Amino acid sequence: MNQMSFTRRAFLQTAAAAAAVTTASALFSIPAFSAEPLKIWTIGVAKVGAKDWSAMEKQSGIKIAYISKSARADEAIQKMVVGDGNKLYDAMTDNGGGMEDALASLKVIVPIDSSRIPNWKNILPRYLAGGEAADTIRYDGELYSVPYISNADSLAFNYGEIGQELTSWEALFDSQFRGRAAMQNDFGPTLTNTAIYLKQSGKQDIMDPSEMTAKEVEWVCKFLIDLKKKGHFRTFWDGFGNGVDLLASEEVLVSSCWEPIQVVAARKTGKDIRYGTMKEGHQAWNNMWMLTRGGKERGQEDAFYKLMNLYLSPWFGARTLSGLGFTPQMKGVMEYVKSNPADFDAATVKLIEDRLVRKEARISVAGNSWQNVFPKNLRDYQDWWARLQAA
Amino acid sequence: MSSDIEAESISRNKGELIESPPPTGLLIDRILGEDGLQKWVFYLPVAFVVVFFAIPLALTYVWSVFERTRFWMEPGFTLFSYINFFTSARLENFLFSMYHSAIAVVIAFAVGFPIAVFVRRRITEVAQHRVILLFILPFMVSEILRVFALRPVLQRNGLVNTVLLEVGLIDEPITVILFSPTGVIIGEVLTFLPFIVFAGFLAMEAVPKYIFEICEDLGAGSWRTFIDVILPLAAPGIFAGSVFIFVNGLGVALLPNILGGPGAVNAGLIATQAMAALDFPLAMAVSAIMMTTLLVLLFIGHKLFDLTRIMTPIS
Repeated sequence: MNQMSFTRRAFLQTAAAAAAVTTASALFSIPAFSAEPLKIWTIGVAKVGAKDWSAMEKQSGIKIAYISKSARADEAIQKMVVGDGNKLYDAMTDNGGGMEDALASLKVIVPIDSSRIPNWKNILPRYLAGGEAADTIRYDGELYSVPYISNADSLAFNYGEIGQELTSWEALFDSQFRGRAAMQNDFGPTLTNTAIYLKQSGKQDIMDPSEMTAKEVEWVCKFLIDLKKKGHFRTFWDGFGNGVDLLASEEVLVSSCWEPIQVVAARKTGKDIRYGTMKEGHQAWNNMWMLTRGGKERGQEDAFYKLMNLYLSPWFGARTLSGLGFTPQMKGVMEYVKSNPADFDAATVKLIEDRLVRKEARISVAGNSWQNVFPKNLRDYQDWWARLQAA
Repeated sequence: MSSDIEAESISRNKGELIESPPPTGLLIDRILGEDGLQKWVFYLPVAFVVVFFAIPLALTYVWSVFERTRFWMEPGFTLFSYINFFTSARLENFLFSMYHSAIAVVIAFAVGFPIAVFVRRRITEVAQHRVILLFILPFMVSEILRVFALRPVLQRNGLVNTVLLEVGLIDEPITVILFSPTGVIIGEVLTFLPFIVFAGFLAMEAVPKYIFEICEDLGAGSWRTFIDVILPLAAPGIFAGSVFIFVNGLGVALLPNILGGPGAVNAGLIATQAMAALDFPLAMAVSAIMMTTLLVLLFIGHKLFDLTRIMTPIS
């Protein structure tokens, strides 16, 4: 064997070995990718159990890489459609009742197979086909998302100053609170809740508060413009801290807001600030998980479904309810809490029980309307909102 | 060496064209040439302006005429977003925010420019820059915190009302200083005041101190000196500072958000809200209108005050 033949043989052997390794890598590429952490693009309130994601990792049995996300719809759309969102994120969260339609129609998320989520059997019946919230997680009838928190937004009020329970949106618009009332600086929830009040109190003939016609939007906005001109609203709050500060500083006594705002304002000040159940109804909303197209292509489906299974478990539901006040999306929370006394002391059990009862009362009101992020007459909503701003 | 220079000088004098030999060697050497990086450094500002200003600005105008789809936009040509802007309440909102910004500019000038003049005239030259640097300190704190910190000062139970009630100047809390256009103007003045102080000080640096002495020697009073001497000399700097405040007043969304009344907006917030509704062409049209407003203002300012003088000390 001369030097040349040795070299050639050695080269061929090396090349064959390299080819074998390459082929094996290609064949087994999915397990190799699956060892990567699931890259989730979500908001901080999506986790429970620990300050970081360790408790969620332990319970779900997967590795998680968390990337912080804002709640802005335009940011999500831009990042996923023209940005590198599909390269960066395997799963993401956003508002149900619109964002799943937007992202699915733009083909940046993929359909979900509920049979791969054992706890799907626990999901609240309202999400099953035909349920009142079924459309909020589907696009063209196909399942594209998994809800993990929801709520029915209502009226927070300073019971200590007012001295009575408020059970109607009438209070928010009552002249006794002139200059001490606030609403959200977002036409979606503000126009929907006002429309619910006007419809249910018989003041205006509105078919669907979540999907108003141009004329109905005009009625609702004219109602608010009239109040604004009378100086009824102190301001429209924007952002969590802003909403808390308005109630905590007693700048306003009544405010239509998210429940965590009332919880934090009451906790921060020690004042008796409560969250009522409005007899006319509330705008209900949810936040949901979606699997990105990139996540599927990278073989992250198994990890995603394991995480979704956790989100539909009472373990998550009990903790998101007790910690942040969000409504669990599954049945069996109270049974789970009572059967795990080591994890929940008596005070927490009572807190969870009370909250579940109040939430059930709110979500059961007949006049409720589910959030519609992008109504058909969106342009009319925008234009009339601009008029309200200018008034 | 000296003979080489002499020979070159002679050949030039004779009008002979001496061509340097074509560069040889590595490509990088040929690109850099004999001057190395030096000649390219001068193109950096141009490249910066093109990449970070001209191209984004051009894209803003292009996207503003695209067609809106339900969740995005598609190439096309429509003036719908501009028509919508000028025929809806958005124009009214935009003009209101211009009006409030203009008031903020006037107040900031009235408060900030005398500070700049004072520092220039009364503080020793060694200490002047240190005093001006003090105005940078607020910028060490996040803008949102600075604006939010005004709430406990201005609100119903805030510092201002508590003090005024305590000393008996008022019987009821003043509510017009927060969650109102007044609140937004107060926020704009306090947030952007340092800019007029900086710009004013820079402008005043271009005014030599002996000019004040000449004015005094000639018997000109303070007011006449200010109107006839200081203002004309410092005008470019004052204008630049004013434009900065005006444009920020139009664009910084958190001011009306945190300090404004129900639904208070400025141009920045109009664009932000259009984006939130996924109305990207409208958001781009609002941005384009803002940019055009700024460019027109700068053009007028340049014609009136020759803004290049900002960088040119008086000889």
